[in-house]
Amino acid sequence: MITSKKWLAFVPAMALVVASCSSSSGSGAGTTSAGGGGSVAASASSVASSAASSGSSASSAATTGASTGGTEAVSQTQAGDLTFYMITHSDDGPFWSVVKRGAEQAAKDLGVKLVWKPGNNDPQVMVKDIEAAVAAGASGIAASLPNADALVGPLKAAVAAHVPVITLNSGSKDYQAIGALTHVGQSEDVAGSGAGDRLNAAGAKKVLCAQQEQGNSGLTERCQGLEKSFKGKVVTQFVGLDADTTAQQNTINAALAADPAIDAILGVGPVVTMSALRAAKDLGRKVTIGGFDLTPELLGAIQAGDIAFTVDQQQYLQGYMPILLLYLNVTNQNTLGGGLPILTGPGFVTKDNAAEVIKLSKQGTR
Amino acid sequence: MTLQGGGTEPLGSTPPDVDRREVWLEEPLTTIDKPSVQPAEPELMVANRGATASAVAPDGDERLAYRSVFQRLFMRPEVGAIIGAVGIWTFFWAVSGTFGTVGQTFGWLDTAATLGIMAVAVSMLMIGGEFDLSSGAMTGAMGMLIIYLVKATGALGGRGFPLELAIPLSLALALGIGYLNGWMVERTGQPSFIITLGTFFALIGLKLGLAKRFVGQIQIGRTDEASDFKYFRPFFAAEWERNKHEFAQRDFWYIALVAAGVLISILAVCELWFKRRAEPKATGLVQFLVSAAVGIAAGIGLNVTDGVGANLAIGVLIALCIVVGLHGWVSWRYEPIGERGSVALDSTMIRRTVLGLALVVLGGVVAVVMDSKSTNNFVFPFTTQGVRVMLASALGVAGLTLLAMVSQAALRVNAASKFIATSALALGIAVIAATIYIASKAPKFRAALFPFLLFLAVLIFTWGMLASRFAERRAVAARADRLGNRMLALGILSVLIGLAIRMLFITKAELLAGVPPAKTSVRLLWFALFTAAMMWVLARTRFGSWTFAVGGNKEAARQVGVPAARTKTKLFMLVAFAAWFVGILVAFRINSIQANAGDGQEFLYIIAAVVGGTLLTGGYGSAFGGAIGACIMSIPLIGISSARWNTDWRFLIIGTILLLAVVSNRYLRTKAGAVRR
Amino acid sequence: MSEHALLELDNISKYYGNIIALSGVSTSVAAGEVTCVLGDNGAGKSSLIKILAGVHQPTEGSIRMNGEEVSFASPREALDHGIATVYQDLAMVPLMSVWRNFFLGSEPTKGLGPFKFIDTAKAKQITKDELTKMGIDIRDTEQPVGTLSGGERQSVAIARAGYFGAKVLILDEPTSALGVKQSGVVLKRIVEARNNGLAVIFITHNPRHAYPVGDRFLILNRGHSMGSFAKDEIAIDDLTRLMAGGAELEALEHELQASGASSDRPLAQR
Repeated sequence: MITSKKWLAFVPAMALVVASCSSSSGSGAGTTSAGGGGSVAASASSVASSAASSGSSASSAATTGASTGGTEAVSQTQAGDLTFYMITHSDDGPFWSVVKRGAEQAAKDLGVKLVWKPGNNDPQVMVKDIEAAVAAGASGIAASLPNADALVGPLKAAVAAHVPVITLNSGSKDYQAIGALTHVGQSEDVAGSGAGDRLNAAGAKKVLCAQQEQGNSGLTERCQGLEKSFKGKVVTQFVGLDADTTAQQNTINAALAADPAIDAILGVGPVVTMSALRAAKDLGRKVTIGGFDLTPELLGAIQAGDIAFTVDQQQYLQGYMPILLLYLNVTNQNTLGGGLPILTGPGFVTKDNAAEVIKLSKQGTR
Repeated sequence: MTLQGGGTEPLGSTPPDVDRREVWLEEPLTTIDKPSVQPAEPELMVANRGATASAVAPDGDERLAYRSVFQRLFMRPEVGAIIGAVGIWTFFWAVSGTFGTVGQTFGWLDTAATLGIMAVAVSMLMIGGEFDLSSGAMTGAMGMLIIYLVKATGALGGRGFPLELAIPLSLALALGIGYLNGWMVERTGQPSFIITLGTFFALIGLKLGLAKRFVGQIQIGRTDEASDFKYFRPFFAAEWERNKHEFAQRDFWYIALVAAGVLISILAVCELWFKRRAEPKATGLVQFLVSAAVGIAAGIGLNVTDGVGANLAIGVLIALCIVVGLHGWVSWRYEPIGERGSVALDSTMIRRTVLGLALVVLGGVVAVVMDSKSTNNFVFPFTTQGVRVMLASALGVAGLTLLAMVSQAALRVNAASKFIATSALALGIAVIAATIYIASKAPKFRAALFPFLLFLAVLIFTWGMLASRFAERRAVAARADRLGNRMLALGILSVLIGLAIRMLFITKAELLAGVPPAKTSVRLLWFALFTAAMMWVLARTRFGSWTFAVGGNKEAARQVGVPAARTKTKLFMLVAFAAWFVGILVAFRINSIQANAGDGQEFLYIIAAVVGGTLLTGGYGSAFGGAIGACIMSIPLIGISSARWNTDWRFLIIGTILLLAVVSNRYLRTKAGAVRR
Repeated sequence: MSEHALLELDNISKYYGNIIALSGVSTSVAAGEVTCVLGDNGAGKSSLIKILAGVHQPTEGSIRMNGEEVSFASPREALDHGIATVYQDLAMVPLMSVWRNFFLGSEPTKGLGPFKFIDTAKAKQITKDELTKMGIDIRDTEQPVGTLSGGERQSVAIARAGYFGAKVLILDEPTSALGVKQSGVVLKRIVEARNNGLAVIFITHNPRHAYPVGDRFLILNRGHSMGSFAKDEIAIDDLTRLMAGGAELEALEHELQASGASSDRPLAQR
């Protein structure tokens, strides 16, 4: 009886595998972003190229885009002839749908054509899309760079083919190697520092940086950024997975009870921030609470004054700005940022603008 | 080997357990032809018609010795988990300033509640020999489902259902998923591990997909927008704020119930352990009653008087009352021992006793001498205070272990030796109590641990004395067992009610002292009720019996008419029910659920079940063990945070607990002789 | 065939595809009688049990109970007809207590509706009484069955079958995994069951276990019946010979002796 069930010994091992699958897949769209702020100014877009595409079709058919390297052609370019490709690892979830709306709005405002190519986290799909876009004579490519190994090559090839490239969301470390014009995204580190400044302003002396995952580099960078700017003491703690909010709440409660000096909490995700709020309420403690990302609950709590602020990545800009910058580059040879990445965050939602943001969030632009 | 081959092989090399077909060649004809060789089996000769074999004396197996109350206790699957939970709790109580407070106790109980409801259900499924990896994801799915149903999610017709409809609808769906799991497992004959892994991924995908499709968010809310929310909230999320419930006589009831409970439990153990005497000895009862009266008076006196001297005198008086009173009770009801023998400890025992006491004293010396007078919270383990605590504890534990070993060994010598050895153990504990009183400045150690250890020492001494003077019952006595078990249950219940009163109510003094607010919710009640119900189901219903049977030996169960497939399917549905319930509890608590809620929790449930003594292979375990296992999971979660340790070590601790639990459960089982396999 | 037979098998055959497991087997068992089914491995014993227990249906032939023809579509139906089968290793759930095993599947309950619960006190008492009747003194019926010896486990299963009104008790190799003394215990139970008026079918490959307790012997060899004999028609040595296929065994003994197995080292002591 026992021997026939030996396979059961594998259960704990498999359960671990399953759990790791679920935690990585469930980490949520709100935390997708690359870390680290590039700082070295490298030679910016020195390639003086302009795409004078003649008769390219928006439906990505096989019409060849004859791009000629001539400065004089710039002013003659018709906006309506321009086709920009946005190729990302988007899963069309709530986060990326806001990016998409931003890009669409930019295309509409500028009167250019936009081709939206969501890769759904598959770098192979993105590689194909990039190559197809170059072949189809794209006027410019805006791409996210979640996987450098797979994507640097094709993007370099695009730059070599005189297609201007801008990276967005993730890719702050690699955009220079590609020769991209710039990078539009958020740095977790800077976002954390921004939250630290806010907490300084609120007069906090000791802050608990509550993490909902262990070993997530993005979340760790948020707490590290907080340590850089916050003037008091920072206690960084893993307080339990989002999967069990009860444990999260009680763990934060225990941390607060054990250390009466803690007078602020920064939750590095929306769910953990709400758990922190409940814990503080249960204990009857006055603490300043800051959070990350936007959810209806969190915005509601900010509006009610229970939570001081939340850090917003403003991903709408990550859709809008690359299209705008590509347009200006193609039509006017402009570059922005001086080779440094352009940060879309941290934007802050506080009680003052919460009502407005809630409205915008319903429209799908925040 | 075959019959033909036997001729060519050297006969001496044949293994003793040869092929079955040769058995008839192997066994001598003793039972038939030479009855004189086998006098143990005389019946076989007259085994034919007319022989009255039933008149033969019963052939009791001498290996089935009577199991004492402690052996029976240690045979319970959850006993290792209870010891572990007490140990872990004590550890965090000792190292953290806030862990023992009522607020934090509510914290880990609250965490254990949702985990535990699932762990209890999962324990039952595992006893039935199956797994459900979809259980974690299902909690989140059910929470989301409730919100979908009550929400105006356009696709569902623009108007949400009222909760009266949404709750039964979601329950039906949950049971449907459970049924599907069971049906697929039974139909395909595949391991439930694989089938439910499929359900797990399907549920995850469904949760994410539906959330994005209908709400455009990975998080959906809000439960409180449902119509009639306010009527349902009390059932699922009613809260109890301790600081708002004052109860002036709280401490009286608390102490009275706990003391009565402990006393009844001790008397219950006496009833289970000792042999009833034919004629009760009335003087014993008088002795007990007088001691009890004096003891109660002394206890009241302890509240009135103040000062170390008076407390000490009253403490000694109470200890005396315990010794004399229990002796009176036992001499009233139970048979004294005939031959006590004289003390006969061999040299090893004497050496170990001396060494044990020496180690305990040395631990005390270390604790006093190494005291750096530092008032800092000691940070484990890198300060003088930390090293001191660890060294003193290690010495104390080593000493007590030696003493306990000796008193175990002395059991086999005679009554008088047992008394001496047990007294040495009691003395060792008393020395440690004294050390704590002298060396520790922490009020919680001086006010709680010191008297507790002294009480323990008195109790152990008393038990050693009684066990060496009165005869142990060595046969099953159904009435005594029933009475003893009921008294034990009553005693434990009394202690629990006492503790609950202490936790739920506040006194004026505490309010004035500014005790931080503590809050708990109705889910603790559900946790307790569900656990109790499942314990009852396992112990007393046919379904419970069948659960053990289908997990232990499905074919045998099926053969005697147990509907194995239906039993297993019902177990899957039970897990689904628990997941539904937990999903509602969470949805009512936090008002919104995000798509990954519950994902990955299933393996915590399995760990809790295994820690609680349930066998991974099925057929053995307990519902109560699952509940305790959940507490063992949640205590370190809250404890590490309370102790302000780096939480990076959390999973290391949980992993270690799991390993320790599995090893010690196995050890306890073999030790108690519960399983021979 | 005897006229008062409780269970009669008439010309039973069983084919698995083109394999003939049983061919034209007939025998009978009367209440208060033990019919031993003897045969070497592969003789068709287990096919016969499975047919009687309702696991398989015979390809040809008929089963009669009390003279009426019956057929069993499932083990449950066989049980309902009063045919209880005790399998060698599947008899018990080792981790469950003796009384739970005894009543498994037929627990006595009291109470109403969803609050129906097992009458444990009654179940324990009956278990203890029934086992005492069979001469087993289990001090504590809470003891897990796994702690009992193999013979005791078989005994509990036999007592259980008897208590639940079995008319025919089929025992599948109950002694094969047991030592000499334990086998004796089980044989004693068989006799007791018979004396209590049960019809017992005792399947074994050991004539020395079968002969003392059997009233009738059915000998199988390679799916064929070698005959069904009353006890007074056959001696134990003939049983052995028939089982092994007659002449083969004698040839073997000569061969063994010729190859040096001395007479003072009988085979039985190997």
